[in-house]
Amino acid sequence: MVSLDAHSLSARELNQAIKKAALTGSQITILNPQARHNIAVGILDSCKIDIDGSVGYYAASLMDGPEVNIDGNAGWALGENLMSGKIVLTKDAGASVAASMRGGDIVVGGNAGARAGISMKGGTLLIGGNAGFLTGFMMQKGRIVVCGDVGDAVGDSMYEGVIYVGGDIGSLGADAKIIEPSETDLIELWGLLEQSGINDRPRFRKIVSQKKLYHFDNLERLEMSAV
Amino acid sequence: MCGISGIMYKNSRHQGLAPVGNDLVRMLDSLAHRGHDSTGYTIVGENNDGQLILRIWTGESEHPDVILARAQEAVEQVGCVVNSRQAWGGFLRLNLNYEGEIPELAEAILQTEGVVIHSIGEASEVIKDVGTASDMEPRHQVGSLKGTHGIGHVRMATESKVDITHSHPFWAYPFTDVTVVHNGQLTNYHKLKRHYEDVGGYRFLTDNDSELIAVYLADKLAQGDSLTDALRYSLEELDGTFTYLVSTKDGIGVAKDRWAAKPLVTMETDDVVAVASEEIALRSVFTDQELDRAEPQENEVLTWSV
Repeated sequence: MVSLDAHSLSARELNQAIKKAALTGSQITILNPQARHNIAVGILDSCKIDIDGSVGYYAASLMDGPEVNIDGNAGWALGENLMSGKIVLTKDAGASVAASMRGGDIVVGGNAGARAGISMKGGTLLIGGNAGFLTGFMMQKGRIVVCGDVGDAVGDSMYEGVIYVGGDIGSLGADAKIIEPSETDLIELWGLLEQSGINDRPRFRKIVSQKKLYHFDNLERLEMSAV
Repeated sequence: MCGISGIMYKNSRHQGLAPVGNDLVRMLDSLAHRGHDSTGYTIVGENNDGQLILRIWTGESEHPDVILARAQEAVEQVGCVVNSRQAWGGFLRLNLNYEGEIPELAEAILQTEGVVIHSIGEASEVIKDVGTASDMEPRHQVGSLKGTHGIGHVRMATESKVDITHSHPFWAYPFTDVTVVHNGQLTNYHKLKRHYEDVGGYRFLTDNDSELIAVYLADKLAQGDSLTDALRYSLEELDGTFTYLVSTKDGIGVAKDRWAAKPLVTMETDDVVAVASEEIALRSVFTDQELDRAEPQENEVLTWSV
């Protein structure tokens, strides 16, 4: 068990201390994060990290393996490019949570800002509350589950992957469509909610790509004359 | 990137002025990583028994005292009675009694070569300088200023040059008490500026896009729109990316663009409301672990009044 006081360390010193402790698989507690940026970035060994308070931008980003619990809010880009492991945030996340994540799980207990799961390439992003504008923008793989409402342009230009929404949908983004979730989908989702301690079982709708943007459907002028 | 913050003590008109300057210095210092170029504040105090607060700067002049004396002369010639005067390092703060029209006073000051007006207000004053909040504090002692509310800005310049004139907040010439801090860029700045110059007859003091927001809002308020409505109209009429704060004599307002491109978090209790680009700034003043903050979303407008 290692306890680190963020107040007396620079972000670099703090992350170096976390990396050192992570080598031995320790349980690490970070005190006084005070919403500072770049906390627990680049941790590549399995370990358990508890952060006692809010974090700023890029918290728990570029990570492969750790399990991180954050008791507070997060700024923009929590868990960016997560490869594997798990991040659990008790309150709200800023914009671009789970940007480009490739694997693992991110759970936001409260609401998420705009562009949640932007360019996601794998893993699961679960949001207990609402998510903002452009949720799942250009996502390429993976699963986003929003128990509450989503804002406008959900799933805009998504290639692959799925977005489930339990509440209201502001509007669909370009090339996104709503389909009925299968029974297997719902069993999986409810299992996920149960694991995450979420008691509601909303009537989820499933959003996927229409895949119409995969190919140009307008011909250039020269091409037209050739047809 | 830039950083913005604001604070308002809801009951301060009844319970006495609050440490608005000190709070904003701490908030902007904690946001210094969002911009080192310049820092600026609007501090709004009580109504000044009808007196005006004038803040001017002498640019890069080698003889600031001479220019400040000329500016003061110009002010007195249009009928102002100077009640108090503070001058330091090319900056001048005057407390005035003035019965005339604000445009006449402003024009008289601008006739003095080398003078830049930072603000004219019945209750508001703009303090700005290059560098971070910590850098400018020994020169300006913003931390000692009390008020009901205020806004502030740290700048990482993108649209116009780095100097004091192009620092935020921007005062809406020639109105009183409307100032703006802005994080973002306006893409229809030139078009709207021409419109306000040609049709509205307004004059702009800088070539910074954010000044336009102040003039835009002051014009709407002068036409009788509420602050909330003026902010709502701006969501449609201003093009580009923005999260901005406006300060008036009576309160502060927030508007966030349709893309939710620029950050903001808000915190509100029964006594105080604080807003900032990042939670780190709220936590520099409010250390409560359980601090509840919200993040305004796209097309959102918020206003608070004292």
